Amino acid sequence: MRMFAVLWLAVVLLSGLYLGYRFHEGALFRTDLTALLPQDERNPVLQKASDTVTKALSRRVLFMIGHSDRAAARAAALQFSADLVSRGVVERFDSQFDAERVVRLGQQYFPYRNGLLSERHRALLLQGQGERLAVSALSQVFGFVGMADAALLRQDPFLLLPGFIADLPFPASRLVVDDGYLTVVDQGVTWIALTGLITGESMALATQQHLVDAVGESEGKLKAAEPALQLRRLGAVFFGHAGASVALDEASWLGGMSLIGTVLLILVVFRRIGPLLHNLLALAVGSAVALAVSFLIFEELHVAILLFGTSLIGVAVDYGLHYSASLFDPGMRRPAERLAHVRTAITLGLATTLIGYATLLLAPFPGLHQLAVFAVVGLIAAFLTVILWIPLLDRDRTLRHGTAMLHAASALWRFWATPRLRPLHHALLAIFVLIGVIGWLQLEVDDDVRHMQALSPALLKEQADIQRLTGAAPAAQFLLIKAADDEAALQREEAIMPALEAMRDSGQISSYQAPASYVPSAARQRENAQLRATQLDAAMRQAQYSRLGLPAPEEAVPAQDVLTLDEALQRDAVPYLKDMVVASGLHTITLHGLKDAGVLRTAFAGIADLWVVDPVTDFNALLGRYRDRAVILIAISALLMLLPLFWRYGLRDGLRVMVPPAAALLLTPAVLALLGQRFTFFHAMAMILVLSISVDYAIFCAEGEADHHSIIMLAIWLVTFTTLLSFGMLAFSEVAVVHGFGLTMLVGMCIALFLAPLARRRTVEAT
Amino acid sequence: MSILLRLCLTTLLLLVALPDARAAERLGDFTDGQVLQGRFVQLRQLSGFPAPLKSEGRFILVAGRGLIWQAETPFAVTTVISPAGLVQEAGGVETMRLPAARLPFIARLYAMLGGALSGDWQGLEEAFTVAREGSDTAWNLRLLPRKAGDAAIPFREILIQGGQFADRVEIVKPDGDRDILTFLDQRLSGQPLSAEDMQLLDMAGRR
Repeated sequence: MRMFAVLWLAVVLLSGLYLGYRFHEGALFRTDLTALLPQDERNPVLQKASDTVTKALSRRVLFMIGHSDRAAARAAALQFSADLVSRGVVERFDSQFDAERVVRLGQQYFPYRNGLLSERHRALLLQGQGERLAVSALSQVFGFVGMADAALLRQDPFLLLPGFIADLPFPASRLVVDDGYLTVVDQGVTWIALTGLITGESMALATQQHLVDAVGESEGKLKAAEPALQLRRLGAVFFGHAGASVALDEASWLGGMSLIGTVLLILVVFRRIGPLLHNLLALAVGSAVALAVSFLIFEELHVAILLFGTSLIGVAVDYGLHYSASLFDPGMRRPAERLAHVRTAITLGLATTLIGYATLLLAPFPGLHQLAVFAVVGLIAAFLTVILWIPLLDRDRTLRHGTAMLHAASALWRFWATPRLRPLHHALLAIFVLIGVIGWLQLEVDDDVRHMQALSPALLKEQADIQRLTGAAPAAQFLLIKAADDEAALQREEAIMPALEAMRDSGQISSYQAPASYVPSAARQRENAQLRATQLDAAMRQAQYSRLGLPAPEEAVPAQDVLTLDEALQRDAVPYLKDMVVASGLHTITLHGLKDAGVLRTAFAGIADLWVVDPVTDFNALLGRYRDRAVILIAISALLMLLPLFWRYGLRDGLRVMVPPAAALLLTPAVLALLGQRFTFFHAMAMILVLSISVDYAIFCAEGEADHHSIIMLAIWLVTFTTLLSFGMLAFSEVAVVHGFGLTMLVGMCIALFLAPLARRRTVEAT
Repeated sequence: MSILLRLCLTTLLLLVALPDARAAERLGDFTDGQVLQGRFVQLRQLSGFPAPLKSEGRFILVAGRGLIWQAETPFAVTTVISPAGLVQEAGGVETMRLPAARLPFIARLYAMLGGALSGDWQGLEEAFTVAREGSDTAWNLRLLPRKAGDAAIPFREILIQGGQFADRVEIVKPDGDRDILTFLDQRLSGQPLSAEDMQLLDMAGRR
């Protein structure tokens, strides 16, 4: 025994060293809720593309800087953007449409102008109305609005290239380019839009903190100089930061409250420092080893794991408390006797709890894997600490102040064990059944992830302002196209673009951007060149030159190679193009202002390798599927837990032990429904814990011999209180997910505690 | 960018008709409903073109309503600019339409020149060096952008000569191309517009 204790000490010390090393290196924590959630395993291509695009979109930030004075707004925008770039928090701003960008666009397209036609021009040529095109060009040359670049006119007498460039899709309908800046004037305020790409990953806590700090400082500086200046921001990174701040704040205060409450409880009950120190030791070892192993297995941990990890505190002290409760037993004077008395119960408790937590590993949720590993390792470490170390450290003599407390604690046992109260038992059970039936009838499920995230109201307001000012909702939905190569993908886009145009005209979407809008397929470019040659050059090129008063060049526009997507990507003259090309042949079409993803799905249903991706809706559907799966997992783990129970208690008593947990499982959702909660995936996950812990309680009651039942009940009360202090506290969280989780635990624990004595062995009672 | 240029010019027509400090008083002559009309000859000298592109036509400037700029030869094209925006049509087909919201320069420019009209030259002089010389009946005005390479002001200089009205305007672009506009038969009246012209002005406000 002593040797194992020393071995365990070595393991704990190693874990401590590793943890110290990891924190020294800068431990990584993530904040995105989605990282906790399942991957869509049905379509890996879709998932990968969706992740890539979503990640790229989530790195985008948009600032709007407003001032009643145009010059002040522009100066502030310049200073603000330069400041953020020089601080290294924004990689680049790409919203400046200065001369340089226009020149780059021109350089990209000019050599290939032969094959580039705007949709309108192309339609005219297809209808054989080349004359209208010629007239339109002449009216530009001779009209009041003179488009008259001689060099261009000589090369492009029909002004097709300016038409193509002017028709490139532009998402924000209300923004206009004013001297290089995207601008909108609203109620006398000039707003400058700055869009940029942040440095680093939007969901890494450190990135968020740097960015938010830098933006705050820069904003402060600008406003100190110009108090009338206004700033609006939009970006996933800001929402992520706000959410993480709430979670971290809560983790510290909920964790603190939980710890203080637990310490006070133990001190009050035992009136000794010994049990407190032992339990704190078990807890500290459990948490530290759990954290170390989690970091060893996972590169990064989610902040929510910290939050739930603090709650593990409550569960980890269970074993120590059961040991400590036996201090009240006058029949056990030596630590070894005390350990022998609880070892079976806590080992069985550990086995069933591990089954419960390990079931979490069956759910393909990265976050739950982390939680499961954290919980399993933490519990084993706490268990080993209790059985290996605490008996060695235990110097306390039998406690004698417990009589009243034990009497009170065992009242619940006596309530269930008193035969003459049987009618009352039956009445209570009938009430429970009634509550269960009514509750289940009212039970509603909710899989909308938007209800689960606490989005900062201040940021939501800024988002609404920006949408109103720019006339564009941030693009969250997109079409994903998969083809053999880029050319095939571009052709597919061109095939569905007429449908998208129709949707835009009918208001289903406000705009869309496809890679093919910027780089037509090679086939389309050749077709355009052909159209141009037959419809314009052959028919009216000479006439056009003479009307312009220009000598016609010797030959028509020389045939050139086509512009390839690769070249356009390399030149990087088109903003966002890179975001739309996930990989060769894997493209996205960004949709703006989509009203109803369903209409789109119907329109494109049945087209192979084309998907409508609406991350929120897809995600909700996924959550729904996994909520179902979680319920199945609970049933599976309840069945698996029966195995050790049958082995220990036999068939009949084994089933009896399962009665209180089963009742807690069935009643908790019903009570939650009566409390007005909608059942989510996260409620279901809490139910797994309810199951594990309620089985623990039942096992302790089943292990309790009649003369020891008051000590068992005291331990169970203590454990319930500590659990409620930890998990139950989560019910006070502002984060809806965490609140639901906590409330489920609160309700489930109360039911489990109340019904636990039903698991007591009647054979014991009979003797 | 030439849109800006022409709008600038339009307002300059107004402006230079009243070139001195008494502008504000004389402004009374050109109030809502007043019409300045005449003919123009435009010579557009483009490097690489053997001869300047010459076009002729008429213009009507209606105070508070807008401008009709109608080229007749060699190619008939009508441009109408109103506070609602800009519309261009040729042969009965609309060839361009730009709502005012897409033209932030217009607002800026109107503010600038409107200020100058009411005697506040500050806005204009922030963007341009303004040199005036000559008398009320024969004057020269020279505008030089202060900021070289300002994309919103795509010309190197503007030279305007006039007497009662602006008679000749020369716009030199950064690349050396120039537009020379000569105005003829200008007259200021309070006569109502013809039905066709009213219709043209309304065209810009539609939609």
